[in-house]
Amino acid sequence: MAAVDPIAFEVIRNALVAATDEMVLALKRSAYSTNIKTRSDFSCAFFDAELRPVAQGFNQPVHLGSMVEQVPKAVLSYGPESLAPGDVLVTNDPYPSGVHLNDVSLISPVHAEGELVGYVANLAHHVDVGGGAPASIGAFREVFQEGVIIPPVKLVEGGVVVDDVFRLILAQIRSKHETGGDFRAQIAANATGVRRVQALVARHGRERLLATMEELLDYTERRTLAELARLPHGVYEAEGSVDNDGYTDEPVGLRVRVELGPDGVRFDTTGCAAQRRAPVNSTWAMTFSAAAYVLKCLVDPDLPVNDGFYRLVHLHAPAGTVTNCTWPAPVVGGWETQTRLVDVMFRALLPAFPERLPAGTKAMMCQAGFGSLDVAAGSYICFYDTFAGGYGGRDGLDGPDAVQAHGQNTENAPVEETELNYPVRIERLALVEDSDGAGRFRGGLGLRKDYVFDLHTTFTVLADRDRSGPWGVLGGRAGRRAEYVLVRDGAETRLGSKCTLELVPGDVISVRTCGGGGYGPPEERDPERVLRDVLEGKVSAERAHDVYRVAFAGHKVDRAATGALREAG
Amino acid sequence: MSVRVAIDIGGTFTDATLIDESSGAVSIAKVLSTPADPSEGFMRALERALVEGGVEARATNFVVHATTVATNAIIEGRIARSGFVTTDGFRDLLEIARQVRPSLYDTRFEKPPPLVPRDRAVVVRERLGPDGGVLVPLEDDSVRAAAAVLREQEVESVAVCLLHAYVNAGHEQRVGAILAEELPGVPISLSSEVAPEFREYLRASTTVINAVIRPIVGRYLERLESRLEEAGVRGKLLVMQSSGGIFSSEAAARRPVFMVESGPAAGVIASAHLGTTVGRRDVLSFDMGGTTAKVGLIQDGRPTVTKDYTVGGHAGAGVGGMSLSGYPVRTPVVDLVEIGAGGGSIAWVDSGGLLRVGPQSAGADPGPVCYGRGGEQPTVTDANVVLGRLNPAYFLGGELELDVEGARRAIEERCAGPLGLTTTEAANGIVEIANAAMVNALHLISVQRGYDPRDFLLVAFGGAGPLHANALAREAQMPALLVPPSPGIFSATGLLTTDLKRDAATTLLRRLEELDPAEVDRGFRELEEAGAAELAGEGLAAGAISSLRQLDLRYVGQSYELTLDVPTPFDGAAAAELAGRFHAEHDRTYGFGAPGEPIELVSLRVTTLGTIAKPPPRRLPDAAGAPEPRSRRPVFFAEAGDYVDCPVHDRYGLGAGARFAGPAVVEEFDSTVVVHPGYAVSVDAAGNLLIEEEAT
Repeated sequence: MAAVDPIAFEVIRNALVAATDEMVLALKRSAYSTNIKTRSDFSCAFFDAELRPVAQGFNQPVHLGSMVEQVPKAVLSYGPESLAPGDVLVTNDPYPSGVHLNDVSLISPVHAEGELVGYVANLAHHVDVGGGAPASIGAFREVFQEGVIIPPVKLVEGGVVVDDVFRLILAQIRSKHETGGDFRAQIAANATGVRRVQALVARHGRERLLATMEELLDYTERRTLAELARLPHGVYEAEGSVDNDGYTDEPVGLRVRVELGPDGVRFDTTGCAAQRRAPVNSTWAMTFSAAAYVLKCLVDPDLPVNDGFYRLVHLHAPAGTVTNCTWPAPVVGGWETQTRLVDVMFRALLPAFPERLPAGTKAMMCQAGFGSLDVAAGSYICFYDTFAGGYGGRDGLDGPDAVQAHGQNTENAPVEETELNYPVRIERLALVEDSDGAGRFRGGLGLRKDYVFDLHTTFTVLADRDRSGPWGVLGGRAGRRAEYVLVRDGAETRLGSKCTLELVPGDVISVRTCGGGGYGPPEERDPERVLRDVLEGKVSAERAHDVYRVAFAGHKVDRAATGALREAG
Repeated sequence: MSVRVAIDIGGTFTDATLIDESSGAVSIAKVLSTPADPSEGFMRALERALVEGGVEARATNFVVHATTVATNAIIEGRIARSGFVTTDGFRDLLEIARQVRPSLYDTRFEKPPPLVPRDRAVVVRERLGPDGGVLVPLEDDSVRAAAAVLREQEVESVAVCLLHAYVNAGHEQRVGAILAEELPGVPISLSSEVAPEFREYLRASTTVINAVIRPIVGRYLERLESRLEEAGVRGKLLVMQSSGGIFSSEAAARRPVFMVESGPAAGVIASAHLGTTVGRRDVLSFDMGGTTAKVGLIQDGRPTVTKDYTVGGHAGAGVGGMSLSGYPVRTPVVDLVEIGAGGGSIAWVDSGGLLRVGPQSAGADPGPVCYGRGGEQPTVTDANVVLGRLNPAYFLGGELELDVEGARRAIEERCAGPLGLTTTEAANGIVEIANAAMVNALHLISVQRGYDPRDFLLVAFGGAGPLHANALAREAQMPALLVPPSPGIFSATGLLTTDLKRDAATTLLRRLEELDPAEVDRGFRELEEAGAAELAGEGLAAGAISSLRQLDLRYVGQSYELTLDVPTPFDGAAAAELAGRFHAEHDRTYGFGAPGEPIELVSLRVTTLGTIAKPPPRRLPDAAGAPEPRSRRPVFFAEAGDYVDCPVHDRYGLGAGARFAGPAVVEEFDSTVVVHPGYAVSVDAAGNLLIEEEAT
């Protein structure tokens, strides 16, 4: 800490985080789409002049890990020397190092006193970026079908929106009004970040600010290394799969090797399935964010996340696999694979962290999108939502019901907000009873949401888990698998987990997500907890008897009969 | 002679402040809180304040009360056994909540348990559309069936939240009427009355909180009233709302969710009133105590109010009002940014070799090392002692002698040594880090919301506020700050200077270009008449009742509205101005406007105020010449780079009109004011210290 004043250091460190937090607020408050303003499907970050991540405004961990890859590569490919004060780059190109097309990043250089100090960036999930289906999700063969591909180009030049570019982008997009508003909110968020960082330069001086940022990265590395020294070093491996790819029913095999060492953590995805001409391909940036997420869960939560942390995350993901796909593979469903990878990594590490890690979780983004064209009004309204599911049981704790998992923490779209702004009704929002993976500590329940359409609508589900539910651990059972159902004229049809279909007025789509996996043998579950679940209707009396082996006398546990049931095994 | 009394119940102490309505003379009393039965501490404090003031109980005109009883009930889980009634298909609204984890990287997280468990959540057959139209008529039988389940479950209170009831309350009112028949004596809270706002989970959560605390708060207020009556107090009992107004104890018992943040609002209200009396209507309030610091913003004499608030959660999961933990509340709350930086915040060196302050606090017990009560970890207060800012012999008026050596040793061993700094450098660092956190908070509430702090007066109070305020003002480039007399009890005076307030709103979704001014004006009049009737029912003369009209507007497609004041009557001219005003306000708040984008009206808001006569300010005798310092001692100032021989004034010896320059320290019983070099102090007639940057 030689060159840097430790007092100024802590002051500046907190001010940088405050700057990205202010970007988060500016974006959320002025955005148009429910997906951004209510569901918070975006993130913000600050990078130094060498494009190393320094501070992040916390929202969606999946974005934070992937922006680390996307932002530097975008700026380098455009040429940092071509960026002037007031410029804003826009990009969503998955290749060479981005994520899926819906996630659009805006990047602004920050200049102060005539010199470059760094970059602020925000990434937001746009409801529609064009492509083969409304909401730009679906099962396609190539990335070109997934929407407009925007290589790094200037959306704003010298503080003025580059109208030619903006119009060219909007021309590819269905929900122009909403998307236009979201772009303006993203521009405002970056402007907020630029002003805040400039104020820091004015206050502390450029030299001191830069020295402090440098030290902040080293400080974070030192602390991360101190944490790594405490972890159980060794090699941990596990396998898992994504059910299918949307074109073939062949499971997408996943294999992960995690090596915890004192000087870093090595994640290796060698052995994962070859990339598909189907929407299950994760880019290198997406896979990296899975690895970073897992390490972050294992260390002191107080640890800052910046380059000093990321430098210790080493990923080997062979090119041409579903964990590092190559151009022009489709990527829109890559997040399904990415979240499943986290589950597999947790599965590998569970023997080393049995008190900390859960049984199998929802571990899919579980996306649905739809669009309705109003020819007369000349408008095309698109909607996007993701659904929670059951979390896995943990040592001493049940898995929470209906909750997001891993790098995904988006809120649900409120029913009233959805019905007010989008041409759909929601008939039911409920927990899926008996969907828990049974266990000493049971998995959480899945979620059911039923949409009713009164207009001709194109609907897409891009999800997974309808072949097998999340695994149980240490004797726990798997959670119930998900179901995606079309109800037409009263008849139910099971849909695939990755499909697009045309709906007619009166159709109902019912999404029923999976329950979480159980932790430990169900017949060891405290009978009083089983009773509580039965009284609340979360677990049926039949399953309580058959699976948990608990007998009741009225509203009480029958201890003797329960003992006998459990004895009989 | 008549007096009014304020009672503020905090975690440790219950404070009573009594003010003589004619002379403005103030008497105070402080007693230990009695958590088992807070009404005991309440009465003890009241009785002691009456003795202090030398008045009879019957001279009490009214008693204003701020209490955390509602919040504590939720945090501690002492809530009523309640039922939840909603639309068929949505029984699990409370279970699912927002489907998010309260912390991003914690694999052992838990969702806050629903305040009404699933076996007491029931549904009725009905459905409204987003325009309020009836899609499925309410089936009375389904309500009676739901009531039967709740009766069986022996609920003490019921919350009702039906989909889209914010736009059409008809079904909820009918459900309420049937439940009242079926469950006699059980209070029913309707979402359309408690919080008629869209987004069902937020509205349901607010209504459920109202329901689960209603029996507890109701019984508590009843007990207070009967005790007051026994003691011979004839005045009304009034309760502070989270929004900064007061309401009658009857209204509080019906809508207790409006008082969840009753305590912290008082300090902001007191600052607003103080600012107005000195001719400054734009004020930032800064309240620093033992464990936290809070900043609030007052614009044109009115505190800013927010509806993004959660109760029973913890800070840190989100930013601003975006906390993902706890239970959301959508009733108006005075907008405060609160951070874990107080006198008791602990300074430590982390595993990366970085000096940190907080969030752990030594609290009141064992407290800072210098208290000599067994505290071993250095705190912000210890740093202030080492820097000479606190007088070891005159802390709490000399009631507690401070252990300077202990403080120095703790900072030396735990901070300075490991960092290779001198003890003074480390102590100064602790204060600077705490100050920087507070400046960030100041920034969040001002710059982030589009206000420039340099246009504001900083009002500093709380036991530790005046110690740090000058440094904050300096850092934020605010030219002036004001320290009221007795800063430690300043918040309580806010209870005595606030007005009766009733906030009401109604949803009216209209594109601006389709707006019918007459319809809007009619909507305002209805809200105003209801508000005036309620306040008149509480004994206010018509002349004392006034109202403020506001509209919530947004760009079509947005969800966060901006609120604009509008004139009475609301006519074509007023309507014509709206678009321009909205674009400008959006630009001020978010840094961009979008002229050409369509705008829509979302709701009408009316705040009805019942003005209560303010007691005159205390008047100080004039100063007799330049003030003489009581003593001198070395005090460290970073800008001087060293300890400076600094005059120490006794605040009680300062007369009106006294002036002196910094560096200086001013001491009084419950607080110490630090004046930095380059600033000058003047004492006004009411005894406030105005500290201003000296012209250079």
